[in-house]
Amino acid sequence: MTLFLLSIMVFLGGQVLPGNVGRAILGPFADQRAVDALNHTLGVDRPLLAQYWGWISNFVQGDMGTSYIFRSPVAPFVIDALGNSMKLAAVAFVLVVPIGILGGVVAALNLNRPLDRIISLGGLSVTVLPEFVTGIILILIFGVWLRWLPISAAWPRDAGFFTQLYYLILPSLPLFLVLFGYIARMARSGMIEALDSDYTRTAVLKGLPWRTVIWRHVLRNALLPTITVIATQTGYLIGGLVVIETLFRYQGIGSLIFTAARGKDFPMLESGILTIGIVYAVATLVADFLYSVLNPRIRLGSDQ
Amino acid sequence: MSKNHSILDLIRRNRTPLENHLIDGLVDGRVSRRDFVRHGSLLGLSLPLLGRIGMAAGLGGMPSLARAQGAPGATIRVASSVPAATIDPVSIADAGGLLIMQQVAEFLCVDGPDLVLQPALAESWKPNDNGTVWTFKLRKGVKFHSGGEMKADDVVASIDRLADPANSSNALSVFTGILQKGASKKVDDYTVEFHLDAPNGNFPYMLSSDNYNAVIIPASYKGDYEKSFDGTGPFRIEKYTAKVGASFVRNEDYWGPKALPERTEFTFFTDMQPQILALQGGQVDIINQMPVLAGVALLNDPNIDIISLKSSAHQQLHMRCDEGPLKDARVRRAIALCLDRDKLAAGLMKGRSALGNDSPFAAVYPSTDTSVPQRKQDIAQAKQLMEAAGLGQGFKITLTTERYLEIPEYAQLIQNWVKEIGVELDLNILDQSGYYGDAVFGKSNWLDSVMGITDYGHRGVPNVYLAAPLKSEGTWNAAHFKNKDYDALATSYIAALDLEAQKADAGKIQKLLLEETPVIFGYFYDYLTATAKGVAGVQPTAMSQLFLDKASKA
Repeated sequence: MTLFLLSIMVFLGGQVLPGNVGRAILGPFADQRAVDALNHTLGVDRPLLAQYWGWISNFVQGDMGTSYIFRSPVAPFVIDALGNSMKLAAVAFVLVVPIGILGGVVAALNLNRPLDRIISLGGLSVTVLPEFVTGIILILIFGVWLRWLPISAAWPRDAGFFTQLYYLILPSLPLFLVLFGYIARMARSGMIEALDSDYTRTAVLKGLPWRTVIWRHVLRNALLPTITVIATQTGYLIGGLVVIETLFRYQGIGSLIFTAARGKDFPMLESGILTIGIVYAVATLVADFLYSVLNPRIRLGSDQ
Repeated sequence: MSKNHSILDLIRRNRTPLENHLIDGLVDGRVSRRDFVRHGSLLGLSLPLLGRIGMAAGLGGMPSLARAQGAPGATIRVASSVPAATIDPVSIADAGGLLIMQQVAEFLCVDGPDLVLQPALAESWKPNDNGTVWTFKLRKGVKFHSGGEMKADDVVASIDRLADPANSSNALSVFTGILQKGASKKVDDYTVEFHLDAPNGNFPYMLSSDNYNAVIIPASYKGDYEKSFDGTGPFRIEKYTAKVGASFVRNEDYWGPKALPERTEFTFFTDMQPQILALQGGQVDIINQMPVLAGVALLNDPNIDIISLKSSAHQQLHMRCDEGPLKDARVRRAIALCLDRDKLAAGLMKGRSALGNDSPFAAVYPSTDTSVPQRKQDIAQAKQLMEAAGLGQGFKITLTTERYLEIPEYAQLIQNWVKEIGVELDLNILDQSGYYGDAVFGKSNWLDSVMGITDYGHRGVPNVYLAAPLKSEGTWNAAHFKNKDYDALATSYIAALDLEAQKADAGKIQKLLLEETPVIFGYFYDYLTATAKGVAGVQPTAMSQLFLDKASKA
């Protein structure tokens, strides 16, 4: 239902954008007759409802339609872009989640000591820097001066897993910087709360070793809010990276939607946005599931 | 060097009156050698013949076009903008896509970097007496990559396809009023005649690379160009991936000298900054087109060479001649007098531009009348004009424009300058699609705004600039400028076959436009291509084409 509403909103929003498809493709200096002919060929001179119905009735059957701009099926574009986005997100994820949590935990265990200050303040400072700033700085350092890493995320044709990974390190670093402070902060406050709680005191008082207390009692409770945060960031990592994708010349779903919106390529735009909508929905579902695994209190349908 | 009249007479014997008039102009010193070569090539005289005439007229040999040849076998890597739509020779309009198409497909003739037409798939061309019929002789033995020989049928079909209003052709606006569907006629397998609607002295430019859609592809083309990328060029397609890049390999069956590079690779970018970083980082060898503001960092980089071509590309500042305070030509002149053009050229454009004189006649055109005085900043005179128009206390008005290249900065400079005469400009800077809108009157900020700045790309001849944005019925006439004298002069200029007649009309048009000033032409900016040091033989054109067949790497 949400996705259906989303599709209608995107469609109506697309109509508000100035210009029309034929004009966007042929440019402002093309003859009006040529524009009309192209609009007719593409079918965008039909009534709005007919256009929307034509597309949505195919979409629910798994056909994403034909791109106005590229005049070829949309599905391969979306699948490729989504695959690329997921690869980049995965690299960023693998880097930031363990390090972010570790940072938060270390900070909480060293509460108000210099190490805590460094992690908290440092993390917060890099989080507020936008990706295009950190991205350019990182490119200049690692790509142009040191020449350690390729500055474009587009790997050569037929590149293997490790080559692709090598090309994705630099683009994932700005994402790491944005998310690190955020995750570390959540983990830190979760930890502080958990360390302060009655059950931790009980565990310590009943004589359990410190290591066991942290692993079995503190961490498990402390990380619950962090997981929710990470899950909501998954959507951002996959769908919200237009800036990073542009800077590193990466063909992800963010840049796909951006170009589609600019060209008024409605089938591409709708399919791209609905795909991101589905990714968000799935990510939230997975987060709920993980939450219930880690937190026995809300395991539904269980008696104890 | 003395004139050799016996050789000149010998050469003259087989020439048309028009050609002989041009030769007379050179001998008498009325036409410079540069203009002679350019106009001679337009009339279809071959470059070696033009060279012999120049020798006989006592001007010494022509500058040799042959350069030291680099080593063959390189892979040349180019950064270019992303093709914005499917690559279809008929509808394509964006620089990124045109560049890819031009790697494989060729034109009848090429408008070179010096604006001299060079033969390509056509060996020669000739007008009839009044310039209404142009006859093109085709090169023999040219093969398409798909195997067939290129013949008159392919040329007729390729050009007819573009002139057909039912085909969503992007060249329709070039051909309207000049060449209709069915007006291209095959004479024999290697001769084609073009029957024009009206006399046109610059018609070969419309079949050259200047009209970027006019590549010759097989007559059997059905509209699926990305499947074949068929053409006759020195490179053939290896792989094309939409939005990512393309690669090409040398065409061993090419009709001319075989290309030097073994391969070429094109990588697509949406933004300028990553292209600059890629060139500095050694991941590409060439940035095909680099706007001066975005590329400032490279202009003084010792590891980078800049190829700078004089062009006629410019930003038009139009003023509505039919309503509001700008209706009075004195007010329009006053605003034009506020601009400090030297500052524009040196500061805003970093010295990579030529001054504009409020007409489309850029200094690069041989027909431009250079005796017309250059308009300069003159605030005192501008204030007088405002007083005379009864607007001494000034007024407030909106300047609408697009966020593109240096236009926002240009608008701010104008805003500051016109303050001096009491004109307060509100800037309304829009996204490009918002500015152009539907690109028809009544549904476009570009065509409806009272004052606006619009980007115009380079053209080898000023015909397009003279017609659509300035003629009374012009479809891009954002200034709503309606002037019968102008219309007649523009028509006369376009029809003129003779360089001196063109120059005479040009002078009149330049003076009329200085008086009326419907559009301010502040500067004409250079076309910049950046290459890594050691890359040689790269030949760009100001139409964003890039010829790589002679490219090499050290």
